[in-house]
Amino acid sequence: MPDDAVLSVRGLEVAFPGGGQAVRGVDFDVHAGEVLGIVGESGSGKSVTALAITGLLDPSARVRGSIRLGGLEVTAADRETLRRMRGRDVGTIFQDPTTTLNPVLPIGRQVIEGQVAHGLVAAGAASAKAAALLQEVDIPDPVARAGQYPHQFSGGMRQRVVIAMAMAGQKRLIIADEPTTALDVTVQAQVLAVLAERRRQTGAAVILITHDLGVVAEVADRVAVMYAGRIVESGPVEAIFHRPRHPYTAGLLRSLPRLDTVAARLLPIEGQPPEAARLPTGCTFRPRCAIGRDQTLCATTDPALREDGQASAAACHFPLTGLLPPLPRPDAGAATTKGEDLLVVEDLRVHFAIRSRLLRRTIGWVRAVDGVNLTIRAGETLGLVGESGCGKTTTGRAIMGLLAVRSGCVRFGGEDITNMRRAELRRIRRQMQYVFQDPFASLNPIRTAGEIVAEPLRIHGLYEEIGGAAYVAGLFERVGLSPDMMRRMPRQFSGGQKQRIGIARALALQPKLLILDEPVAALDVSIQAQIVNLLQDLQQQLGLAYLFIAHDLSVVRHICDRVAVMYLGRIVEQSNRDVLYENPVHPYTQSLLSAVPLPDPDLRDRTRRIVLRGEIPSPARLPSGCTFHPRCFRADAICAAEVPEFTCYPGLPTLCACHHAGPTRPEPA
Amino acid sequence: MIGFVLRRLAQMLPVLLLASLAIWAMVYAVPGSPVGALVGENATPEQIQATIARLGLDRPMLLQYWSWLHHALEGDFGLSIQNREPVVTLILQRIPATLQLGLSASAVGLALGVPVALASALRPRGWLDRMLSGWSALALGVPTFWLGILLILLFAVRLRWLPSVSAYVPVMDDPAGALRNTLLPALTLGVYVSGIFARFLRAALLGELRADYVRTARSKGLRERDVIGRHVLRNALLPFVTIVGLMTASFIGGAVVTEAVFTYPGLGRLLIQAIDARDYPLIQGCIMCILVIYIGINVLVDVLYAYIDPRIDYG
Amino acid sequence: MRLALKHPGAALGIAFLAVVLLASFVAPLILPLDPLAQDFTATLDPPSAAHWFGTDELGRDILARVIAGARTSLTTAAGAVLIAGCIGVPIGLVAGFFGGWRDAVLMRLVDVLLALPGILFAMALIAVIGRSQMAALVAVGITGIPGFARITRAQVLALRRLDFVLAVEAMGGSASYSMFRTVLPNAWSPILVQVVILTSVAILLEAALAFLGVGIPPPAPSWGDMLRTGKQYLYEAPTYAVLPGLVLTLTILSLDTIGRTLARVLEDRQGAHLATLDEPA
Repeated sequence: MPDDAVLSVRGLEVAFPGGGQAVRGVDFDVHAGEVLGIVGESGSGKSVTALAITGLLDPSARVRGSIRLGGLEVTAADRETLRRMRGRDVGTIFQDPTTTLNPVLPIGRQVIEGQVAHGLVAAGAASAKAAALLQEVDIPDPVARAGQYPHQFSGGMRQRVVIAMAMAGQKRLIIADEPTTALDVTVQAQVLAVLAERRRQTGAAVILITHDLGVVAEVADRVAVMYAGRIVESGPVEAIFHRPRHPYTAGLLRSLPRLDTVAARLLPIEGQPPEAARLPTGCTFRPRCAIGRDQTLCATTDPALREDGQASAAACHFPLTGLLPPLPRPDAGAATTKGEDLLVVEDLRVHFAIRSRLLRRTIGWVRAVDGVNLTIRAGETLGLVGESGCGKTTTGRAIMGLLAVRSGCVRFGGEDITNMRRAELRRIRRQMQYVFQDPFASLNPIRTAGEIVAEPLRIHGLYEEIGGAAYVAGLFERVGLSPDMMRRMPRQFSGGQKQRIGIARALALQPKLLILDEPVAALDVSIQAQIVNLLQDLQQQLGLAYLFIAHDLSVVRHICDRVAVMYLGRIVEQSNRDVLYENPVHPYTQSLLSAVPLPDPDLRDRTRRIVLRGEIPSPARLPSGCTFHPRCFRADAICAAEVPEFTCYPGLPTLCACHHAGPTRPEPA
Repeated sequence: MIGFVLRRLAQMLPVLLLASLAIWAMVYAVPGSPVGALVGENATPEQIQATIARLGLDRPMLLQYWSWLHHALEGDFGLSIQNREPVVTLILQRIPATLQLGLSASAVGLALGVPVALASALRPRGWLDRMLSGWSALALGVPTFWLGILLILLFAVRLRWLPSVSAYVPVMDDPAGALRNTLLPALTLGVYVSGIFARFLRAALLGELRADYVRTARSKGLRERDVIGRHVLRNALLPFVTIVGLMTASFIGGAVVTEAVFTYPGLGRLLIQAIDARDYPLIQGCIMCILVIYIGINVLVDVLYAYIDPRIDYG
Repeated sequence: MRLALKHPGAALGIAFLAVVLLASFVAPLILPLDPLAQDFTATLDPPSAAHWFGTDELGRDILARVIAGARTSLTTAAGAVLIAGCIGVPIGLVAGFFGGWRDAVLMRLVDVLLALPGILFAMALIAVIGRSQMAALVAVGITGIPGFARITRAQVLALRRLDFVLAVEAMGGSASYSMFRTVLPNAWSPILVQVVILTSVAILLEAALAFLGVGIPPPAPSWGDMLRTGKQYLYEAPTYAVLPGLVLTLTILSLDTIGRTLARVLEDRQGAHLATLDEPA
């Protein structure tokens, strides 16, 4: 063990009764001032590892191996020692800032109480110190804010509070478990900046646990990749991203759509991660591995994590060598064939009434969608991107006729379907279908998969006519599921498979347009790539048009022909895909794009990042004029007074709503 | 704050109005003529005519309701048929007894229920938890009238320590006598409600213990007793306040059964006597009074809840 | 069998209920038990070989009366739950599914039922319509409506927000299709739990009404009425009140245990919510 290691983990194993081995022998060190990124998909054991380090695992967990923090052996420590360790040496930042703070205690008290409990801050000085800590994470007006409660803070501010709390005192180790996963990308940029700043000031070692390869490439010094409870590869961040040795690492990187380039096709990892209770023999990655699938060595022996002499290590019998080749680019000549206008949305407004509690009078409106214009042509994909609360899902549901439209017009195939009655809409719905974000909630839990896919046919009385069970079996095959699975219940499927069922159901009526509402947001990277490829294949085979609603700008760039960016119920910029990503002219688009961390450590300091002020205001109290002006770096007096027109930007095929639209930096002459 | 109280009261207004209409109308739903019920079966036609005129029963229905409501709002429910005393006087006489029993029963329930809930929530599914859950099931499942009978058998019939019939002795006048007389009924009701309290609080505590902020508190290195005392308990007690208030409210009018077991002179017993004697003005008065108390405490509990929960503003 | 071993309490409860049901519906066909046969030579006898539970003040066999009482008690409770369910579930379904003014009106009506403790409501109702088994059944049934309405509504509201219900609308399914074919089949488990728990509450409430002298009128045997009379003879025949009360208590405990076990089992399966009990009796 190197003497300067803050934390040293050797042979860590964690098992849960009935749940199998969640962690199966993990070794790593973390040094002072260093950021170790632990990446892995859900169920890889990364969060369990973190909880084991702080001794916060459920008492039923069986822990073996060694965790040494400074001079302390955590696995053997008694409760009181662990408590002192947590109070003085280790700080933890958890994922969801809406639940990690106690809702009924003032913020200031929560920030400082650990310090007070360990005698590091005198009770009399507590409130002053709490305000100082809040100040350090850029909370404005910290003295007054310390007396407020969590519900009075926005999500990003809450996470900064959690950072202040975790880093109070001279902590030697900070464990950040998915610290920005629940946040929007512009807020993530703020929080990562605060985290980095506080780390520089305190010199603490940081373990950053995340599934987001972009975040890792952005902030980590070294990376450990976990799969099925083990570290399969570790090394310096550049090595991991440019010269991965383990096929799983390489597979993850090739599954990932990029914001900065376009690939013809993603190369997903086949299959799904194994469950902890049912691991394959030999190398746990073998069933999904193109190299090892047929090797007897891989089937019999689980490879150990071996150093390669360059500070990297991989657990693979047949490690890759050399640089990871980039994904093939699409053919330059593959111009999109322009079909007829299929869906036209004009000045769509969806407002929800705020009613008084007593007499249910309308006392205000939430302007969830406030003037949206869109056109989708047959066979093309339009991306609708924006942060949470911008109204993108509401737009999709209003187009589908699932919500009442306040004003504006939705035309499908030339026919006005705005606020049509449910019975009339039946006809339209044969041609327009919806795929939901959450594959767990969108399937009726008490019907079999076959019944679920057949349900739209039965509702429309077409089941027999269209071919009955044989037709449904065909749909299963079309989305990459075996027709044997038709009798299974939804709970017997994994997330990715459920989403395939949802897509098969949407295809059953042979629609012309699919509204895809965050169809891959709930899925792990390797599964996400499978679904993205499936959607692209289906579009080619069936000539479908997609309205692709998403917050992930990289996925949107990969899959869409044209993209519309939404902010507070309005579309602020819309253009062809490559034009929008390479020459954004709206300041919001520009900051959004600059905030996305790229999965390439070389590009860390590529451009000056635009960190926006504040967070999205409530659509119940829209700012005057241009709704973006309170956060905008170009705003002036006119922005607060006048609503900008959504109009053509000269020289580009772009529509934009901004008084000061223009390129990020002046173009070279 | 005041606005919030007024708004809550205003929300209850339609419920009160509808309920009062139902209470008023019940006399008219009685099989046979309401006058018959009022004057007795052997009345002469003249007496019946006189009663109809005196009660104004020849006027339109809505007008009759209005005048009844009008009087009721002024606290005038008319005279009891049994003994010709004003209904209000009879009710007011019983309120102190009812309050004394209701409050002491809630106190017993809290004293038994809260420790049980704490002990079982801190070691869920352990042997103590199983035993205590059994206790809650028993406390809830044993009918109060049977438990009351068992207690009378033990303490009054066998041991002869306490009276088998409980009188109302004001605790201010004679604490020892009040204890002797209130102990058994309060215990009977208290055991029952301790089951509700324990079950509810245990569930609330377990729910809170699973919350993320508990893990955060532990990750700060707080002592387990501070994690429970400062974080968990505070959150779990918020909804618990509501349950305690509701139960107390229901005792104040609804301890009918217990009052009957111990022939305790509370509001519930008055109501039973009124029903036995078909004394309709008294029935109406009792129910109306219990209703007002019940709703009043409900509103009070809501206000208290809003006051102690920082997430609710009065806006 | 495996379930029984895993939940011994519920298994015991089911066994006890089976005994009570058998005794009350089958035994009278075989055994010479007459709940109304009086014998003035043997009044208020303690339990003996001839009269296992002893005799009452008219010399009637208490065991026979307990068995006959079980029949009235269980049928009254079942009828009451049926009434409560048939009215409460549709109210909750419509209120939760459509929301808006339907929800406001229906739930305000339910609030009126909740404005009084259940037992007072039942008493007031019986005061109006007079004492009879039907009156007790209806009164207890009406007090059960709010429980069903609220549980169903809460369940429907939770389901209504789930994507698979929205998906039915997106497919073009009619409102009645999504209400009856999608929402209701998924709402069953908490309603089922409520049925079991409300049966125990109904038995308790019916017994309490009889104990107060407003339940099923004598001479029909009823558990509550036996306790009421037995209480007058505490000094002479303590077992008179104790034994019928014991059977009543065990019946209620059995149902309560079964209900809660059912809730746990269903919750483990799909996350139903246990009904909270309301007022005392």
